[in-house]
Amino acid sequence: MRVKFWGVRGSIPVPGRATSRYGGNTSCVEVRPKGAAPIIIDAGTGLRRLGKSLMEEAFGDGRGETSILISHTHWDHVQGLPFFSPAYRAGNKIQIYARQRDMHLEAVFSQQNNSPYFPVPLSSLEATMSFHELVEGTKFHIGRAKVSCTRLNHPWIAMAYRIEVDGAVVVYCADTAPFTDILFGREFIVKAPSLDEPLPADVVEELARMRAGVVELARGADLLIYDTQFTKTEYLQRPHWGHSHPDDAIQIARDAGAKQLCLFHHAPMRTDDENDQILAAYRTVAAHGDQPLALVSAYEGLEIPLGDE
Amino acid sequence: MKIRFWGVRGSIPAPGPDTIAYGGNTSCVSIHTASGKLVIVDMGTGLMHLGNHLMAGAFGKGQGRAAILLSHTHWDHIQGLGFFAPVFIPGNHFTVFGPGGSPNVLEEILEGQMDPNFSPLQTLKNFAAIFDVKAATTAFEAEDLRVSAYEHVHGTTTALAFRIEEAGKVFVYASDVGQPVADAPPDPGLVALARGADVLLHDTTYRPSDQATRRNRGFSTYEDAAAMAVAAQARRLVMFHYDQDYSDADVDSLRDACRASLDTLGGQDIGLEAAREGDELEI
Ligand SMILES: [Zn+2]
Ligand SMILES: [Zn+2]
Ligand SMILES: [Zn+2]
Repeated sequence: MRVKFWGVRGSIPVPGRATSRYGGNTSCVEVRPKGAAPIIIDAGTGLRRLGKSLMEEAFGDGRGETSILISHTHWDHVQGLPFFSPAYRAGNKIQIYARQRDMHLEAVFSQQNNSPYFPVPLSSLEATMSFHELVEGTKFHIGRAKVSCTRLNHPWIAMAYRIEVDGAVVVYCADTAPFTDILFGREFIVKAPSLDEPLPADVVEELARMRAGVVELARGADLLIYDTQFTKTEYLQRPHWGHSHPDDAIQIARDAGAKQLCLFHHAPMRTDDENDQILAAYRTVAAHGDQPLALVSAYEGLEIPLGDE
Repeated sequence: MKIRFWGVRGSIPAPGPDTIAYGGNTSCVSIHTASGKLVIVDMGTGLMHLGNHLMAGAFGKGQGRAAILLSHTHWDHIQGLGFFAPVFIPGNHFTVFGPGGSPNVLEEILEGQMDPNFSPLQTLKNFAAIFDVKAATTAFEAEDLRVSAYEHVHGTTTALAFRIEEAGKVFVYASDVGQPVADAPPDPGLVALARGADVLLHDTTYRPSDQATRRNRGFSTYEDAAAMAVAAQARRLVMFHYDQDYSDADVDSLRDACRASLDTLGGQDIGLEAAREGDELEI
């Protein structure tokens, strides 16, 4: 399979000179099993350019099929969907997978496309769209690819995905906070809480269970894509935002025995030069220890071949 | 009045190496008045960068005030709001004037963007600043400025254009202007609003060939904008809200074509520029 990055940014798209090398589009990754239809993870603004490129293939004649795995429905993971050209061509089939919400997924996505926010309602899109609701632990197949998922530590819950195909494994973990300080649920956390206070035992246990689920999902991954929006210092100032940092991601990758870690979901104001520095600094960290870990930082256009391509 | 462009793109932010010169952020313009007041028009992603800039001044200390004029609530005109740093500082004060005819309707629409399914903010109530939502009427006062608004056609819906006046100087903002039929004459209501403007900022999303295949989207060409500027006898025309697929080179050629349109229509005396992120214009 081949993994290609179309959007690597978190929170909000950031056009401009300072971000033009890594790219300013929000989260979107294409996983292409050998000779098969593309599997897309997340539908941030990167999805727009991916959609244009797909129109050069079967999607342009209305014979395309794709599955989109949505980590969660925060804007930066869904805002590209109304601009996905294959959705406007009759005959194309688009399967959308996401975690169950209080209301049906189709209703959630309809809200995004409806007046007064967008001029083209979801129901009037020409392609066939179907919605599949997931819960933690659901396992399913997309063609030959085996897909599984587990929950992450993020406000209103995000899903991590593992895709196994062509003798290789890619795992996508965004968005998530570390599993040490705050258990994210439905409440809005106004201020950074003190991280010195001990957590209640049941919260500690719940976080440990969640972390174990993520480590298990990432077990032996050839590529682990991880939310590293923050540096460690930034995380300590904003632990209540629900994002992680490279030190935490490296520890998860080591515990899971992953071979390669990809820094992903870069903070909007992170410049290209800062991203270069972060990567250089953590390459040294990742190379140390008895289990060397390859490290990359996601940029738009990065393509990583895995297993049998 | 000092006008500054923070986002000039339409529909969806368009990052990439080929949009660096004009910018890829969605609609947002700031107006600093001669009397020291601040009026913001539209809240696209450019609003985040305006906010970061404002934090260095009174807004960073919770002593800032601004009026926000909202043309309509399509994503590209509101998606910067959750990333506007000054709304998280207690003491700052914002008054939004927008469409919908009733403050409750407008507030509910803005609230929908912050819905916990979509935003970690969950609700506007989590803003620390005062965020007062009002319905724009045809004539009102915002930060002591006289503002008139006109509701024009934008595809299957409508949007508001604004005329802002200070000491005899006039700035008109008319984004997302699009009549559903081909070759429609300039909307007389909008001509009246823009009459004699020192600066008319007007939607120029498309070149004519692209508008022809996407007329239902409700956007103007540079020809429509030129016709409006001539009909309203504006002094300067500013092109705005470029299609997300247009590169910097495309916008350059659109500007040349717009100049030619103005000249053909008898608008040789009308100044022309293509709005560019970061540029400032003094009236
Ligand atoms: Zn995110
Ligand atoms: Zn617009
Ligand atoms: Zn619009």
